[in-house]
Amino acid sequence: MDDLLADFVAETREMLEASEGEIIAWEADPTDRARLDTIFRFVHTVKGNCGFFDFPRLASLSHAAEDALSDCRAGRREADSALVSAVLAVIDRIVEMVDIIEAGDEIPEGSDDALIAALGENSDLAAGEIDGLSDLVGAVEEVAAAIENAEDGAVEDASDDQDTPRAVSQNAGVQRSIRLPVDLLDRVMSGVSDMVLARNDLAHRLRQAGNQPTIDGPFERLTTILSDVRDAITRMRMQRIETLYTALPRLVRDLSADLGKQVMIDLEGGDVELDREMIETVRDPLTHIIRNAIDHGIEEPSSRLSKGKREIGILSISARQSGNTISIVVSDDGDGLNEERIAAKAVSVGLITAAERASMSRDKILQLVFEPGFSTAETVSNVSGRGVGLDVVRDNLERVGGSISVSSTPGVGSMFTLKVPLTLSIIAGLTVEVGDQRFAIPQSYIEEIIDSTSKSLDFTRVGETALITFRGNRIPCLSLAEVLGLPSTDIAEGEHTMVLLRLASGDLFALAIDRIHHHGDLVVKPLAPAVMNCGVYAGSTLLDDGQPILLLDVTNVAAEHGLVSDARTRVLQAANQQDQDTDEVLSRAMLFTDYDNRKRAVRLELVQRIETAKAEDIDISPDGKRAVIDGVILPLVGLPEGQKATGKIRFLRLSDETCELLYAVREVDDAVELQNALKPVDDDPLVEALTLVDGQTIALIDGHEIFARYGEPPELTSKPTCHLPDSDWARTILGPLVSAAGYEVVSGSDEAGDIAIVLDDSEPDTSLTDGEFIRLRSQPDAANNDGSIYRYDRDGLVDALRRARAGGKR
Amino acid sequence: MNDLMVMVEIAGRRCALNAHNVSSVIELGVVTPVPRTADFIAGITAMRSQSLTVIDCRRALGMDPDKFPTDHRGAVVTIANHSYALMVDRIDDINTATSEVENVSGGFGPEWSRITTGMVETSTGPALLIDLALLIAGPESLEVAA
Repeated sequence: MDDLLADFVAETREMLEASEGEIIAWEADPTDRARLDTIFRFVHTVKGNCGFFDFPRLASLSHAAEDALSDCRAGRREADSALVSAVLAVIDRIVEMVDIIEAGDEIPEGSDDALIAALGENSDLAAGEIDGLSDLVGAVEEVAAAIENAEDGAVEDASDDQDTPRAVSQNAGVQRSIRLPVDLLDRVMSGVSDMVLARNDLAHRLRQAGNQPTIDGPFERLTTILSDVRDAITRMRMQRIETLYTALPRLVRDLSADLGKQVMIDLEGGDVELDREMIETVRDPLTHIIRNAIDHGIEEPSSRLSKGKREIGILSISARQSGNTISIVVSDDGDGLNEERIAAKAVSVGLITAAERASMSRDKILQLVFEPGFSTAETVSNVSGRGVGLDVVRDNLERVGGSISVSSTPGVGSMFTLKVPLTLSIIAGLTVEVGDQRFAIPQSYIEEIIDSTSKSLDFTRVGETALITFRGNRIPCLSLAEVLGLPSTDIAEGEHTMVLLRLASGDLFALAIDRIHHHGDLVVKPLAPAVMNCGVYAGSTLLDDGQPILLLDVTNVAAEHGLVSDARTRVLQAANQQDQDTDEVLSRAMLFTDYDNRKRAVRLELVQRIETAKAEDIDISPDGKRAVIDGVILPLVGLPEGQKATGKIRFLRLSDETCELLYAVREVDDAVELQNALKPVDDDPLVEALTLVDGQTIALIDGHEIFARYGEPPELTSKPTCHLPDSDWARTILGPLVSAAGYEVVSGSDEAGDIAIVLDDSEPDTSLTDGEFIRLRSQPDAANNDGSIYRYDRDGLVDALRRARAGGKR
Repeated sequence: MNDLMVMVEIAGRRCALNAHNVSSVIELGVVTPVPRTADFIAGITAMRSQSLTVIDCRRALGMDPDKFPTDHRGAVVTIANHSYALMVDRIDDINTATSEVENVSGGFGPEWSRITTGMVETSTGPALLIDLALLIAGPESLEVAA
């Protein structure tokens, strides 16, 4: 029985989490049937489950909510905000009771009549509603019985209303979950890791022993099974941050309703995965910051309007994994933090002196809100400002190795950035070598890898700072060997392989390394505090051979060298960047190898995308090759004549803004800058010029010539129009034929076409088209040779249409 | 009293580690150095799928390890949920402490006093009982320099 009860509690909780967000969404759009169904299922399942236990209060509450909702479902009642509030209140009461049940206490005696009455359509009707309830009790008991039957496998026909509930109770059985101590998971996890290492060792020995078919087969199987198990185990600990998000819409709704504000919540990055434990750690701080943002940040609607903002404030929460930290950014478009008030308060409570205040930057002052004993709200409301301040939030986060910071622009809004580490996580990482030592860099930072052979780096030193030029921008460059204080290797300065890293703040820098080793998934393990303290490493990871390597803390390394800008300059930078981008007139080209194995380049501006298509999608006809990409037929060049392509083919999709064409390439190499002089050539019209890229001669495709020869506007947008006479025959029989010939059909006297079709003797109306008229006659034989076509002469008609099209368009 | 002690030799002196704290003794294979950290951190190494921080106990005392032999094995200890492997001159044996922890007037010399809780008598003679948390904190002067 106890197990059953625990199941009931767990199931109720799970369904509740899933439906919280739905309720708010439903209120926003009461006609949304799917949401209504979800909520209905929740209360219904609770009610149904109560039938197994003796919880009369729980049963009557869920019952009442179910009634109200089923009225909505049946269309007997409109869902309004009063109803939503009442349903929410009932759900809250249910949660309270579930908590009591979980604690093993008796549900205290009490009355839920007020709540139940609130569900009524209006207070006058409440009494009648309660009478109605008793009628419905019978019906509900039927449903409950139906569920029991369903679970026994004896499914009987029931009325419409009872169909859904039964399906639900069956579904509920599928999503079963159990709770496990994290310790146990850890043990299983490290056991599996050990197994992987043992397997690697065995693999090594097998290789030494040579091929042994009898052993290799089972060994392969072991490998596959092991990697499956490892995946599953890893996922066991991880949870999507969505589970944290589901409760937020409700929180925001309640708070904003309490405070008379209008707030819209925008959630992003719900698919970021986080250690289960870490999710719990983040929950409270996040709630606290949201409360603060709504209470202190976002203004009242009237005040917002007077400032020229939208009435509805926006609170956006986004999660992002960067390296082995998760950043959760909570930003609002409220009034921002008041620097003066924070400073005054800090001085008054003795955190800083007036003299210190004078020398502090705005940013520094803002961070004071995380100091103990701080609340700047004028009045203490029941939402925030109860003495538990942001200092507690910071302490909680720092305890798990996280951090919090704030940036804010007066009148525009503020942004809180929470960072929490992934104590245990799997990240994609790049392993690099410096000297004879390897280090790992989280993949998420890596923007691009530039090979040492690339001449476009332009490595220079300005003072002690090294700079490289990449795509026209000067980027600071750190040498990993120097950062780590390793002896420099014999690779000359500027000949290193560069890894371009982009920080979460948007700053870009290059890291010079000796070699790229490999990249793959890394299991990040924490390091001892003595190692962590030096600020260069974020963790360690084991290579396949069991050798440990260190994971670099990219953000810290960058910060140590002063490469991180703060939030405010970031906005400016982004704006500047855009300006720069438009000013940029550097010639860049896409380097590729064509099907004749020649190195060619095409100007980057022409390249829309790199496409891949199967050889079957290519159509070869006498007047050229075409391929279908995304449902559009595009001309195709670059495939050698008379050779049948097989497998998958890559194309550069080129565009001159109206026409598009595909250029088949064997291999796409890289984007390069055209730094050297272009030498025009005459022998091949398709080549604009020859140039040197990295010491190789490259032919640059002539964009003008290639579009002049092969360019076709994409089929979809280029249809000429044909005006048809207004008759049933024209619409149903002629219309499809004309469409099939590549025309768009128009009719009616107010629309003109590129060409027009007229029947028999009717006068050609010149307002219908500027182009050609095609005259159709009803009789097979022409009375006089007026150039008309018999209306069932398909070939003649199609031919005429094609000629008209060729004449009109080309 | 009657606690089991792992007897080790650090910088030529007999020391004792409480056997409760020592989870195992492993062969120190490849130790990956960790640049930019205090020099008593010899590097990291792997024990099965776990990574261990290798502490050179001689350096943690501010002594030069080159003057002493080095055992190819290390004692694995866990302090504050992190695992460390201790690099010492020699790992001897397990012995029983035959006395309570006692202090000697005059102390054991500044380096040693910093990392010990006192002296214990064992069947092989007196030994310095090492406080692991103090040991891995390293010599302060070096930590500042790092």
